[in-house]
Amino acid sequence: MLAVLFAAFYFRLYPVGSDDARTVVVVLKSTNVRSDFWQTAAGGAQAAAKEAGARIEVLGPLKDTDAAMQARLLAEALASKPDAIVAAPIDDDRVAAALKRIEEAGIELVLLDTPLTLPKEPVSVSGNHREAGRQAGRLAVQLTDGKPVAAILSDYAVSSVSAQREAGVREIVGPAGFAGTYYIEDSEEKAQDAVRSLLAAKPQVNVVLALSEPGVLGAAKALQEADRIGAVKLLAFDSSLSEIKLLEEGGLAAMIVQRPFNMGYLGVKYALRQLERKRVQRTTYIDTIVVTKDNMYSPENQKLLFPFQ
Amino acid sequence: MREWACREMSLEARPFFPFKSIQSSIAFAFSCLLLLSIATTSLIGYRLSVQAVENNSKSYMKEVINQVNTNIQSYVDNMENISLLAMTNKDVKYYISNNSFISDEESRPYEKRISDLFQSILYTRKDIASIMVFGYNGRFVSDRRITLLNPNAHLQDQAWYKNAQLAGGKSVLSAPHVQNIIRNEYRWVVSLSRELKNVDGLTADGIFLVDLNLSVINDLCRQINLGPKGYVFIVDQDGNIVYHPQQQLIYSNLRTEPIDRVRTAASGTSFQVNDEEGKRFYSVKDTNFGWKIVGVAYETDLIGYKSTLGNTLLITFGAVVVSLVVSVALSRRLSRPIRDLQRSMRLVEKGNFDVKTEVTQMNEIGQLARTFNMMVGQIKNLMQEIIATQENKRRSELQALQAQINPHFLYNTLDSIVWMAEQKQHEEVVLMTSALARLFRAGITKDQELVPIRVEMEHIRNYLLIQKMRYSHKLDYRLEFDDAVLNDRTPKILLQPFVENAIYHGIRNKPDKGTIVIRAKERDDQIVFEIEDDGLGMTEEQLAKIGKAGDGEYRSKGIGISNVDERIKLLFGPAYGVRIRSEREAGTCVTIAIPRRTAKG
Repeated sequence: MLAVLFAAFYFRLYPVGSDDARTVVVVLKSTNVRSDFWQTAAGGAQAAAKEAGARIEVLGPLKDTDAAMQARLLAEALASKPDAIVAAPIDDDRVAAALKRIEEAGIELVLLDTPLTLPKEPVSVSGNHREAGRQAGRLAVQLTDGKPVAAILSDYAVSSVSAQREAGVREIVGPAGFAGTYYIEDSEEKAQDAVRSLLAAKPQVNVVLALSEPGVLGAAKALQEADRIGAVKLLAFDSSLSEIKLLEEGGLAAMIVQRPFNMGYLGVKYALRQLERKRVQRTTYIDTIVVTKDNMYSPENQKLLFPFQ
Repeated sequence: MREWACREMSLEARPFFPFKSIQSSIAFAFSCLLLLSIATTSLIGYRLSVQAVENNSKSYMKEVINQVNTNIQSYVDNMENISLLAMTNKDVKYYISNNSFISDEESRPYEKRISDLFQSILYTRKDIASIMVFGYNGRFVSDRRITLLNPNAHLQDQAWYKNAQLAGGKSVLSAPHVQNIIRNEYRWVVSLSRELKNVDGLTADGIFLVDLNLSVINDLCRQINLGPKGYVFIVDQDGNIVYHPQQQLIYSNLRTEPIDRVRTAASGTSFQVNDEEGKRFYSVKDTNFGWKIVGVAYETDLIGYKSTLGNTLLITFGAVVVSLVVSVALSRRLSRPIRDLQRSMRLVEKGNFDVKTEVTQMNEIGQLARTFNMMVGQIKNLMQEIIATQENKRRSELQALQAQINPHFLYNTLDSIVWMAEQKQHEEVVLMTSALARLFRAGITKDQELVPIRVEMEHIRNYLLIQKMRYSHKLDYRLEFDDAVLNDRTPKILLQPFVENAIYHGIRNKPDKGTIVIRAKERDDQIVFEIEDDGLGMTEEQLAKIGKAGDGEYRSKGIGISNVDERIKLLFGPAYGVRIRSEREAGTCVTIAIPRRTAKG
């Protein structure tokens, strides 16, 4: 009887004690040092790994649209047999296929930022893009005293993130307040052109929501040109240094900012919790924050807007 | 009834060790004792070692935090010194004072000089981000040659500006923040600001600002090694977090720190927190510019906890095994003599009385063994005695039996019968023959050892009848049996040998008639028989010969008599028996004493 007791104790403690560290591979949409968003997300992931004493590796293509590269990185990650993989997938079939294979291999998977349907529903941590859209919509209503006429500058039609944001905005502003969606892909110029023509075609537009940075910058330029900057409220999603300056100057009315640090942190944390067979929420949404000129220098928002390296 | 008695006993006794053998009890007791002491000592040892490690870790942390404090302190002191420099610099004073230049042209050399000064300071120190002076007269100068201010940032709204004004000349240290006062620059810094006073010492002329790169503090705190999971964070006097490696998480409430306890903890002390994140130690140190530096270390990092526990358990388990083995061995040794004794006893139980157990020790078991041996020897002897006695009894009876069938008597009697038959004395023949038949019937038949005295009387009467017929003119006899004793018991063929003896040796050779008197009476709970004759008597020599037992040798003189005495003694003990008193030419009196045993069922 003593032998059984002892054996139970010993073997229960030993694996926890010797703890050859678990490995997590994080594959982001981009590891470009200029992308503050993903750098911060990586930081969050690393913080979670350090906390739990796990080993972490952060990978990603240079461009956040390079699906082929990401799929390849995912395959490499799968080959290295980590304990868990945390991925922020580019919305592409090749990436989805790679993720499917990872699931089949039995490696714990957590998805960040972009929701993707897989045969076995994985744990996901992302911003609630739909809700962010609604937030922006409400802000638009507020800024225009209840009478918004909003145009949306989206990037790609296939981007599910942008689609959700758009849907959120349209939900709030309603068909009456909606002035059309323009796809500008990655080009500031296209954005500028789109806004120019928009202003000409629909002069009643009083809100422009840009879903990506090139959109914001292009729109700002166009509004500046038409001398309607400030009169037409410009709302941006996510943040960058130029957008911050714009916000400070007054050209940008507000930014809807995600919290990538938290996303990266929770992604890794949940992956590790799954490894320990603990219960984890299937879908976790991370709220977005509305940042205006007034609150941009509050201690919390400072940290959000100016990620410290 | 037996069962009930046993149960009662077990209720009362209720043994302390519920085991069936002493060996198991001893083994159990030893094991318990050993286990108890081992468990106690190892537990104490473990606790002591854990405590020691904990204390060591706490001291280590304290040292580390002190070091961080010292380092940050030195940075802050440095900034203070720079501010002092600026404060006392004549150019600066003049530049920002109200009573100065008319045109910008004149101010430029001052600007340049001040800027150069600041720049030179900056060159030597990589931790300083910028040094600036803002005069209330609207002028400003910094370490850069051309200072472009951010048009969207208002000086008067800046926290460092306002606080410096409030402090009225004392330096104020800000929390880390993004410095946006310079156009296109957004750096994380810690600002030290100070209001600069006029020569008169009363009026304030402007604000001095020196920014320290936050990366310096960050790097400092990051390289602290408090284990793979440990970290350092800083709070200000109001409990706001100045620096934390995961500050974002704190803002989103994904992570909390026990700020209250940090604020109330005295400098140089530490406290413990135990929650779902794990057990960790917080070590707090106050700086002298209002901040508190807190080091956090996880217990699992500091102590090789689990492996120690594992080892302790391993040792304990090993000790348990060893103690079990030892106690079993010891108990076996101790109980071996008992078991040996038990084995010998079992042999005796089976009927072997030649068993002798070894006496190996002089302790209680040894004494038991010795006594046991003696007892077995005694039993053996007693049993042999009984056997011998029984044998003798049987032999005596056999001899008695043999004695009665005295061939001489038989021959003579038969001769007499034949002679009487030839003489045609038919009645005498019938008498003698039937008497003889009765005589033998009484003697041979019936296995009873003891017969009623009445029967013995009849027997001797028959005998005397026959003898009287033969020695009619020589023999006379009288039987005087008390009525009281007739029902009492006596061994059979008791009297015949003596009567025979009296006739053949006492009376036959007597010239004249002889008389035999046989009496039986009760005296002092004994039955006493007397056979008295007035015959020739015996000499002492002859008496002595009679006393000797026959050994189966058929001696007509002595066999019957000594046999009777033997039988009596065998049956009743040495207190009873035969006594012969004889006198030459006078007669013989034989007294036989047996215990009075009234007839029993």
